[in-house]
Amino acid sequence: MESIFEFLFKYHPALYRQGDIALRGPWPIATLLIAAVAVAAVVGFSYLRPRGRAGALDRGVMAVLRTSALCVIVLCLLQPTLVLRAVVPQRNFVGVLIDDSHSMTLPGEDGRPRSAFVADQLGPDGALLKALSERFAVRTFSFSSTTGRVSDPTALGYAGTRTDLASALDRVREDLSAVPLSGIIVISDGADNGGRVLAESLVPLQAASIPVFTVGLGEETLTPDVQIDRVQAPQSVLLGSAVVVDVIVSQRGYEGETVTLEVADETRILTQQPVALGEDGEPVVSRVRFTADQSGPRRVTFTIAPSPGERVAGNNRRELLMDVRDDRKKVLYFEGEPRFEVKFMRRAVDGDDNLQLVVLQRTAPDKFLRLDVDGAEELQSGFPKTREELFRYQGLILGSVEAGFFTHDQLLMIQDFVSQRGGGLLVLGGRHALAEGGYAGTPVADVIPVVMGPSQGDNPRAVEVKVSPTPAGALNPATQIASAGETPSAVWERLPALTTLNPIYQVKPGATTLLVGKSEGSPGEDRVVLAWQRFGRGRSFALPVQDSWIWQMHADVPLEDQSHERFWGQLLRGLVDGVGEPVSVSLDHERADAGQPIKVSARVRDSTYIELNDATVGARLIAPSGAERNLTLEWSVEDDGLYTATFVPDENGTWAVDVDASRAGAAIGRDEVWARVGAGDDEYFDAARRQALLERIAEETGGRSYRAADVDRLPEDIQYAGAGVTITEERDLWDMPFLFLVLVGLIGSEWAFRRRRGLV
Amino acid sequence: MRFQRPRAAVLGLIGAGALAGAAPLARAGAGADAPAAASAAPPLARRAGSPVVLTPQQVAREYHEFYFTRGKYSEGGRGFRRGFGGGSWATDWPKADQQFMVVLKRLVGIDNSPLDNAVDLADPELRRFPFLYILEVGEMYMTDAELLGLRSYLAAGGFLVVDDFWGPYELANLERELGRLLPGKPLRELPLDHPLFNNVYDVSNVIQVPNVRTGQSHGMYGTPTHEGRGSEVPHVFGIDDDRGELMVVANWNTDIGDAWEWAENPYYPLKFSTYAFEIGVNMIVYAMSH
Repeated sequence: MESIFEFLFKYHPALYRQGDIALRGPWPIATLLIAAVAVAAVVGFSYLRPRGRAGALDRGVMAVLRTSALCVIVLCLLQPTLVLRAVVPQRNFVGVLIDDSHSMTLPGEDGRPRSAFVADQLGPDGALLKALSERFAVRTFSFSSTTGRVSDPTALGYAGTRTDLASALDRVREDLSAVPLSGIIVISDGADNGGRVLAESLVPLQAASIPVFTVGLGEETLTPDVQIDRVQAPQSVLLGSAVVVDVIVSQRGYEGETVTLEVADETRILTQQPVALGEDGEPVVSRVRFTADQSGPRRVTFTIAPSPGERVAGNNRRELLMDVRDDRKKVLYFEGEPRFEVKFMRRAVDGDDNLQLVVLQRTAPDKFLRLDVDGAEELQSGFPKTREELFRYQGLILGSVEAGFFTHDQLLMIQDFVSQRGGGLLVLGGRHALAEGGYAGTPVADVIPVVMGPSQGDNPRAVEVKVSPTPAGALNPATQIASAGETPSAVWERLPALTTLNPIYQVKPGATTLLVGKSEGSPGEDRVVLAWQRFGRGRSFALPVQDSWIWQMHADVPLEDQSHERFWGQLLRGLVDGVGEPVSVSLDHERADAGQPIKVSARVRDSTYIELNDATVGARLIAPSGAERNLTLEWSVEDDGLYTATFVPDENGTWAVDVDASRAGAAIGRDEVWARVGAGDDEYFDAARRQALLERIAEETGGRSYRAADVDRLPEDIQYAGAGVTITEERDLWDMPFLFLVLVGLIGSEWAFRRRRGLV
Repeated sequence: MRFQRPRAAVLGLIGAGALAGAAPLARAGAGADAPAAASAAPPLARRAGSPVVLTPQQVAREYHEFYFTRGKYSEGGRGFRRGFGGGSWATDWPKADQQFMVVLKRLVGIDNSPLDNAVDLADPELRRFPFLYILEVGEMYMTDAELLGLRSYLAAGGFLVVDDFWGPYELANLERELGRLLPGKPLRELPLDHPLFNNVYDVSNVIQVPNVRTGQSHGMYGTPTHEGRGSEVPHVFGIDDDRGELMVVANWNTDIGDAWEWAENPYYPLKFSTYAFEIGVNMIVYAMSH
């Protein structure tokens, strides 16, 4: 279409967009208007005067055609001119940004890699480079995760693991800010994954009137192809935890087929499961479960074997770094009366090095039994009376103990334990628990995730409930009790019924029901057996049953069955996993290229979990080679208790960041995180040409978007883009073919009309 | 700081006082089909000597956290029938069980059933009751089914208390039976600093608890409390599970059950019933927490 336009109107439409049209005739406009009116009058007089056998209509048509033809001639005599601001040759610069990322090695429509365009067009004999060099001083840059000048574009390695377009545009604009810049050319597939907001880089270009011209390489869709779009998994889990991961898979060209998803820890296969692919372009979610059974930073990979004929194999694999913490989390279980739950819960987690269940059991009024305490001092005065004492635990379990046992401050403390300290609270059922324990209206009632009904008094009615998971419970790590190879629903089905004394039918808005119980007496009326919710920084669970030990002792449960052990192991992990300590550290991204800065953030609180702004916070960076260096974190000022610093890793591998905080010489705490440094696999994902993004960049900056096939227009378009040092250039338009064709058409039409009407 | 505990003598008075009111209940329960609970709930219809197995409807009114469960076992040829319709397993049953439950409820905040609960060792329902009491094991000879049931019970997490066996012969018989039950796990004497002796009440001495006749005679005339040669010194033995927690407690040369049964008897010395209640409570709380 553009070539037809250019044939008719002599110049490319881009020149018309960038230029102005002016009349350059030697006569004043007024004179020309008088002459035009005179000509029209003569024509009108000569045609409209009755003569011969031409009727009024005939004469009118012929007059219009002849007048129009004369007007075209007059227009030509006025010398219409296209006024352009053309750059002064060799006085302006053009920045050429060449995508150096790995996605440029993917084959294009012609089977050649995308990077072949660069070799063809920007090599020593490249047409594009030549055409640009005739008009501009050309500065070439390569970009991926970083941007730099490059002297020989054909020597690029295309090994970049990230495409950071925003940073590349910033860098070129800054580098060429001192010279007249006519435009920036971006040669890329547009598969930006730099993570920055592009608009932030386009605004300065708009302000400086620097147009960006984009050249898109590659195809807009890659078919056939299977891709793991995303993997949603916790970054940190407690050793031994069940891990539930959502893997989002999309495909083109393999609709209806089934592939196998494999999860591996390094070289050890954790699980495999089939994935039924959806429609073209439609993602499907595959949930995989495995157990984090080895501590330390684990590289977990999710892989789908490439299908026959698949275009990109690299996007069939995702890798993430999961920090499996071999911590020992301390849970305080306060039980108000002798109950077998104490014994069997202790048995269930006995030998679990990651859970320490400290039991405080009231055996009679004012008589307490302490079990598994760390020393004679611990809990010697009964239930903690200060926040500092309570906040030493990561989890708190309240058994059958009435609210009246606690002072109001202790009830508030329990609320703060969850909301402020970020701990996990689990409320068990029992004759002195929940509503039956008088908790309605207390600060603890705000925390628990269930809605308590009216109390049944001192003799609550017991009901047997058959427990089953809700859809949410089937996916929650806290309720994963099936062993490898077992079907979770079959496990729940075979477990015997439990007993509840606390009728709970509703959870609070925002809470999630994980387990429900059906009773024979009231079919269809499900009771809540396990629910949880977030509350402040922490979380709370309610388990209003009282004899989960039946899952261990019932005759129908084989001795080798580990369901009861797994239930408590996973539920207590769910209670305390991720519960923060006074010092908690995070990174802005867990994977980076060598040389890419990583920001370390540490949140520092005292033993009562009040943020500290006067702490001394340092980090020990341990490189993969074992080399160590220190980093000082500074208070961020705008955020209480937040300390930050940035470091640049220079080695590939797993880096340890060990943060230590102290105050006035007294240690506050420490925390450790891990960073993965090295070539990532982001470039293989969403690697199709992102035309919409490239067009948006061009449109918002006044440039234009091209494809490889029409890039020969690019040098001229930049020449007349109006940016840089320009001169005014006028181009005649009177001789454009369009005007000639119109003139011939008008005269020919009049002749044809006369012939048709018999007027010749 | 130590938590306050009731004084032993006071404890015995509490027990005796409680039993004064409970005695009619115990007597009514003896030999009857349905020993009535103190609660207003309708009595649970069941056969004497059968386990408490609740239907869903019965759960609503009969559910309790703790059932004092007595094990029914088979004996060798020299056994003789005692109690109501049973062998040696039924000694003191059901009065001792019921009276102890009355006192237990007064002493600790436990939700215990007032019913006695005798269960055959081979009955799969045994595993629903994690505390098990057997006594008079001098002639015990478990069948294979009973062995299997009791072994499964202990492996799942059950707790066994053995009582009222005297002298070397009966000890040897128990050891032989335990050898069949838990090979390679011999009885060991429990030291007084074991948690069993102080988890609720501080038991500083292992006392020989005599049967009711010997106890009355001892109270009136100061006669010995033992039952012949080789039974002069009481011992508390135990067997640990693989985790190092007690799963079997054996009270040798002592008859704790008789002290529970006759605690209300004014001629039975208070010190014996006090000790019996103390060690009984400690064993139950230990079984429910370890």
